[in-house]
Parts: sequence; C-alpha cells; structure tokens
Amino acid sequence: MFRKNKKALSFISVIILLILVSIQSALTGSIKVTPFELIHGLVTGTNDQVAIIKDLRLPRILIALFAGAALSVAGVLLQAVMRNPLADPGIIGVSAGAGFMSIVVVAFFPTLYFFVPLFAFLGGALAFFLVYSLSWRSGLDPLRMILIGIAVNALFTGLSQGLGFSGSALTQSMSQVMTSTLTMKKWSDVDVLLLYGTIGLVLAFVVYSWCNYLALDDKTAKNLGINVNLARLVISLVAVLLASVATAVAGLFAFVGLLIPHIGRSLVGTDHKVLIPFSALAGALLILTADTLGRTIIAPNEIPASIIMAVIGGPFLIFLLRKSDRIYGH
Amino acid sequence: MDIKAITFSYDKKVNTLHGVNSTIDSGKVTTIIGPNGCGKSTLLSVMANNNHPQSGQVLLEGKALADFKPKELAKKLAVVHQQNNAPSDMTVEKLTGYGRIPYKSLFTSATDDDEQAIEWALACTNLTDKRTVPIDELSGGQMQRVWIAMALAQKTPFLLLDEPTTYLDIYYQYELLELIKGLNRAHGMSIVMVLHDINQAIRYSDIIIAMKDGEIVAKGTPSEVITVQTVKEIYGVDVVVKNDEETGMYIIPIGI
Repeated sequence: MFRKNKKALSFISVIILLILVSIQSALTGSIKVTPFELIHGLVTGTNDQVAIIKDLRLPRILIALFAGAALSVAGVLLQAVMRNPLADPGIIGVSAGAGFMSIVVVAFFPTLYFFVPLFAFLGGALAFFLVYSLSWRSGLDPLRMILIGIAVNALFTGLSQGLGFSGSALTQSMSQVMTSTLTMKKWSDVDVLLLYGTIGLVLAFVVYSWCNYLALDDKTAKNLGINVNLARLVISLVAVLLASVATAVAGLFAFVGLLIPHIGRSLVGTDHKVLIPFSALAGALLILTADTLGRTIIAPNEIPASIIMAVIGGPFLIFLLRKSDRIYGH
Repeated sequence: MDIKAITFSYDKKVNTLHGVNSTIDSGKVTTIIGPNGCGKSTLLSVMANNNHPQSGQVLLEGKALADFKPKELAKKLAVVHQQNNAPSDMTVEKLTGYGRIPYKSLFTSATDDDEQAIEWALACTNLTDKRTVPIDELSGGQMQRVWIAMALAQKTPFLLLDEPTTYLDIYYQYELLELIKGLNRAHGMSIVMVLHDINQAIRYSDIIIAMKDGEIVAKGTPSEVITVQTVKEIYGVDVVVKNDEETGMYIIPIGI
C-alpha cells in the first residue's frame, strides 16, 4: 500500500511543481507581468509586453520542457538497453554526435535547416553504434562502456569545436548548439521539437514492456520468446531519436538522462510503464527549473541551463558511481 | 526430443560436444550428470536453443529447434537457468506473469488463460501467499521457486533446469527436487535437468545420462547407469553402491 501511495504522491508532486514552475517561468525575467496581465494579454493580444513574452519566453519554456522530457526518457531507454544505470546520452556521446551533425548541416548546408533533426539523428545513431559495438565483449561491461562513451563524446565534441575555429561564420551557429542557452528560440523550433519529441515519447511508452523484459538476462528473455536483439535495436533507435532532436533544438545537456531516471527508480520503482512517464515529467521540470534559475538569479545576465545542469550533475554522477553496485538490486 | 549428432564449440577450436546423439523420452524425468567441464550444461543449453550447434540438430516433435519461431518454441519448452536476474522491486506475481510473454504481443492485455496459468504456477510452487511480495524479500529457495513458477506459467510440455539446486541449502534442495518430481508425476511434464549430486540424480530421475569429455558415456535407468565401474570411469572416484530396502539405491564415495 505504501508503495502505491509513494508512486501517486511522486506523480502529483511533480505535476504540481511543473505547473508552478511553468507559471513562474512565464511571469519572471527581464519583463515582469502579473498572472492576470499574462492571461489577458494572451487572449486579447493587446499587451506589448505579453506579446514579447509570447514570442520569446513561451517557446523557450516549451523547448525546455520537451528537451528535458526527451533527454530523461532517452536516458531511461539507454539504461534499459545497456543494462547500465550510467548510460546517459550526454555522457556516452550520443548528444555530442547529434550536436556535431547539427553543426555540420547548419554551417555547410544551411538550406537543409528543416532537416537538422534528421541529420542530428544520424549523428546520434553513429555515436551510439560506436559505443555499443566497441564496448561489447560477450556482454556490456559498465565501466568499459562509460570509458568508450567518454572517448566517443570527446571525439565528437572535439570535432564540433574544431569546426568552430575554421571560420568566423561558423562560430555563431556552433556556439548556439554547443552551449545550449535556450535564448533566441522561435516557435518554429518548438514545432520541430514538439513533432519529433512527441513521436519519440509515444514510441518510448509503446515499448515499455520490452524495456522491462531487457532487465532479465538475455538467455532468460530469449527462452520466453523475446527477440532480444530486435528489442534492443528498436529501443535504441527511439532513445537516439529523443536525444538527437532535443540536442538539435535545445543544445547539449549532460546528466538529465542520468539524474532523473535514477531518482525515478527510487520513487516509482523499476517498472517502465510508470518510470517512463514519470521521467518525462520530472525531466521537463528539471530543465525548466534550471533554465528559469539561470536567467533570473543574476539577471539581466544569464547562466545557460546546461551549465547549471553540469554543476548539479557532476557531483551526482560521483554519488551514483559510489553506490552503483546496488542499482538494479544485483 | 531427439538429439542428433550435436557438435558444439565455444571458440570454434576445441569441441565441447562431439557428435552427441540421444533421445529424451516424453513424460520422464531425465538427469544429465558428469564431472565439471564434461559438456552437460552446454548440452542443456543446446537443447534450450541458447547455444547453436556447429553441426547436428535438436528435433522437438520432429521439427528442428532452429526452425521454430521464438514464441512458438517458448510454448513448447521452458528453461530455468542456474543464475537469474530481475529488478529487485518486482513482485512474485509480476515475474511469474512473464511466463505468459510467449502468448502475448506488444498490444494484447491479459486473458483468462493467462490468469489461470499464473494461478496454477503460483499454486504448484507454493507461492500463492507470496504473490505481492517483492523478490528482494525472498529467500534463495523461494527465489528459485519463482523462476520455476515463471517457467510453469509458459505451460510447456518440456521443462529444462540447469543445476537447479546450486546455491541452496539441503532442505531447499530437496524441497525443489520434490517439486520437480511432483510436476512430472501430477502433470506429466517432461523434465530434463543437470545435477551434480549423484544420489539426488538416482532418487529423482527416471533416466540418467552420464557424460564425459563432451560425449554420452551411459544412458538408462539409475540402476543401469550408476555402477561402481561407470562412476569410476566418469569421475575417477571409487564408490560403494548400496541397495537398501527402505531407502532404495544410493552410493557412498570411498576414495580416489
């Protein structure tokens, strides 16, 4: 009974916080309005300040929410596939691969701008394939996977930064992807993230039972008639889609996909039917909170949300590594 | 089940199994015994379709294992492995319910058949009152029974078990063997298992297959297979074979 209550309580808390932070985020910043002004302005369209909020702040909020949801669900899926609680799209290079391809497209083929998420997906998939195939030695050794992931991450981050030095025209487009401030986001960015992000999140939920089955040993799963390789492939592709589109639109965020699923498991358990929706909500909350803090604590200057995430996430990774042998209850 | 000329190698250099031939009779308890490294667990994993032989094939109801769709095979043949992992917060009922996976697709929900099979599996393994307990609160013996319950929920005619008594103390070992024998006697399940303890093999098997160096050395009823000569040949251990009216047949090792 307590377990049930804990789950329900966790969901309700996260949803309430999500609503509160969203409202607070819409109201504060360099332009401040009251809730009444905001709603009145959005409905009538007569308030200039609200018009600015609608054009600049609302897209930013939506992107923060969707990027957070996409990245933490991508983390949940990668952890299920690799059976490793340390798999995070930001740490093992999937986001870096996606970011690199985004930069290449933006820099060299600007006319293909609309297809950036597609190329980001290819970049993310390439990075994931490298990590997966290079760390496979009749099983995935967690430590080996993290080390190879760091190497792949370094490679793509280096390639991206190298591109940044090759011409001043590239620098701006690059820094937008690499540092992931959520400033200057437009409704067209929201459309892209909303479309691919929703597809990814729905697919993630569709495959939740496969994620559960992969927690069994491969041979046990096979003897139950599960096509383990197919399940791994499909879940990986969904994870890469989510991580890549979030990176292409919102930039690089490390640690969300690590932190949120871990907290999720301790609050709502390991069943992916519950863990996936919870992680989506909690991830959205985390990134929006980080972004809102980043643009309000030292206003009018801004700290990028990714930097706030890195400051929170780094110590948390150490904490996880210290107790990682207890995760999954082995 | 027919085992035809199975040759298997893990590294494609040294053969673990050399052209093994045998037949597993339906409705019997068959136990494979032999020293460490003789290939008994490998043979079981080939029979479970977890390892694919370099040559030869295993036929189930006249059809090669490799030709079955994964879910079709999972309705014929269930396997309990020596070591298993599952998330620690899973309940007994939920894990047992995984045995119904072969009967489901990604989009179907549980049917009456599923529920009946789960009830039956829990009852057989004496876990009905533990159904809502998370598995990390179970003892080793109870945990092993959950894995058997999962296999039973598959409702298969064949059940394969790889050293099911390992890691259990003597009480739970016998509890488990009684359970397995009961499944055979009451429900006619064909059982194939690997055991280390020869006396347990004698007591709980209809047929014993004795292996050494990747080959089958002897096959038959316990009294046919377990003799002073075969035990010496297979294990290199001198034994006395006793036949007691009350306890039945047993062996005592006396030296090497």
